[in-house]
Amino acid sequence: MATAPAPGTRTVDREEIRSKLLSLVASYLEQPVTDIRSDGKLVDYGLDSIFALTLCGDVEDEYGIEVKSTLAWDHPTVDAITEYVYEALTAEA
Amino acid sequence: MTVIDSSPRRPAERLGPLDDLDTPEPLETLFGDPDDPGNPVGHQAFVDADERGDFLPAGRKTLETFGIGAEFVPRALGGRLGQADDLARVLRTVFRHDGALALGLGAINLIASSTVWAAGDAEQRRWLASVLLDNHPTAGAITELAHGDDLTRTRLRASERDGGVVLSGRKEVINNVARAHAVTVLARTSEEPGSRSHTLFLVDPAAVPRERMRFLPRYRTSGMRGTHLGGVEFLDCPLPATAAVGGYGDAMETILRCFQVTKSVASGAALGLVDTMLRTVLDFGTQRRLYGRSVTELPYVEAELADIFTDLLICDAMTTTTCRALHVLPRQTSVYAAATKYLVPEIEQRAADRLALALGARSFLREGPHAVFQKHFRDLPVAALAHSGATVCLATVIPQLPRLARRSWFTSSAPDPALFRLGEPLPDLDFGQLEANAGPDDQVVATLLDVGRDSVTDPTLRTLCARLVDELRDLRDGWRTLAPRNRTPFAGPVGFELAERYAVVLAASACLGVWWHNQDHPNPFMRDTAWVVRALDRLTVRLGHEPLPEAASATRQVFAELLGRHAEHRAFDLIGRRLH
Repeated sequence: MATAPAPGTRTVDREEIRSKLLSLVASYLEQPVTDIRSDGKLVDYGLDSIFALTLCGDVEDEYGIEVKSTLAWDHPTVDAITEYVYEALTAEA
Repeated sequence: MTVIDSSPRRPAERLGPLDDLDTPEPLETLFGDPDDPGNPVGHQAFVDADERGDFLPAGRKTLETFGIGAEFVPRALGGRLGQADDLARVLRTVFRHDGALALGLGAINLIASSTVWAAGDAEQRRWLASVLLDNHPTAGAITELAHGDDLTRTRLRASERDGGVVLSGRKEVINNVARAHAVTVLARTSEEPGSRSHTLFLVDPAAVPRERMRFLPRYRTSGMRGTHLGGVEFLDCPLPATAAVGGYGDAMETILRCFQVTKSVASGAALGLVDTMLRTVLDFGTQRRLYGRSVTELPYVEAELADIFTDLLICDAMTTTTCRALHVLPRQTSVYAAATKYLVPEIEQRAADRLALALGARSFLREGPHAVFQKHFRDLPVAALAHSGATVCLATVIPQLPRLARRSWFTSSAPDPALFRLGEPLPDLDFGQLEANAGPDDQVVATLLDVGRDSVTDPTLRTLCARLVDELRDLRDGWRTLAPRNRTPFAGPVGFELAERYAVVLAASACLGVWWHNQDHPNPFMRDTAWVVRALDRLTVRLGHEPLPEAASATRQVFAELLGRHAEHRAFDLIGRRLH
């Protein structure tokens, strides 16, 4: 059974981050996760400026990192956010 | 021997909010007795100007004599802008007399200037400060009629050309734009969808080629008829490259931060309209006799007017707390400002509707001694919408609440009491501290637990606070179980309802904090429990509770205070200063 990793020992997996973010976006849109492209612009799915606030709160809570409130503006696709989170977590580890 | 005073010219010292409550504010003194028919800036003069559809020239003069422009200029740039709650109270004074003046020559300056204080360079800030210190009007050309508050869909285009910038496109429903000496313009600088495609520009209308900037016809309005709502069209209008305010693509972020200030201040300011409407009804009711007594001696009218006074105190507690939070809790105000800008206009409008019923036919007569009522009644919805409507405010709150539910409610600790202490000076407003979204630390609502659950001893107040704590628990559970879609701007009615209920809990928390932390208020009424009991009873009724029978008895005391303030010409707010 999986247990929470101790701080500093968490392994960072890009694909896990990507799939977590994809399922978050899919849940907001109430669409199957297979309908969301990781290189598609969030704004093209109708997820605009205010939604970015929701997403960055969720990312902060999910990964325990602080992100700028404009995260999803400057990193407008799931792929771009994945990279950002990956870098942040790697730097932390 | 000649003594040369080398000290710089100091702006007028402001009276501390709770100092010497028998002395009117300097601006209020300039307006004088509004009921004096010979007063060139009295109610009759403003009603006449409204009938003509223009600003009252004498009113403009009064604001110039006072030096209204300096109120919007940060102290560091030679003005008087330090605290947001002070600015809200100055503008509230103007709103007591006239909405068109208060918005067009007052509040609008904040919309135009706050983005420049936040993101402009030193030269832009110096220039805009000089425009305002000379009392010249400014305008914020932000909205386009087709897109309303959805600013990301802005069409007005700015393109780089020959080392400068060229503006093309139009802005509509812009207050005072044709008279402004400085205009901030929101423009699209990239065709990419999203929130990094917009830039703000600071325009000096006197410096652009005349034929490249055209003013659109004025819009006529039902309320604030004196207001000059116009539009502007830029026809390949060249600007220097230095006109950009902040970096390219920064506009939406700057606006999200700065409009927290404008929302908070505007909500606190517009209370002045309802203050005068309530005063007008009391003028009428204390003289008018029905069934052998004055109207205000009828129990139903007494309860109605006491409740409306209570509503004004609720609104002032909420707006003052939000304004002060800009200084004390700048990381949290994205939620507070939007919740306030939703709830306060809603409470004000209901209060105005009930006042109109109490005033009867005089609520719509455009002449006679109570004619100011119908004018203010028409001004109020215009003030409520400027500069963001209720729906967009709730849509700003909704995405942020799930996180407060998860991380903050029942966990965050209570704020620094300075947040609520009306007389305590705060560090000057720092736009750089404000954040586009709120952190997970809702300290205002933590006051509900700190004061309401853990400190209060009065049994009636304890019962009311227990209801509110239960509501907060329900809200927490509600947000936690809500489908993700309802946490986005696409939320269904359930998301909006939870956001509305949160705003009520926030207002109640502000009332409790203000009451608890101002036990040195010079007016014993503000230290006593009656007003806060009535306030919390009214707010819990809003949440669907039956009125608490024990809370009803406090109505009498609230009404006695209202009559006393009316007789002594005192403001119907948390301060209660004499008006003239």
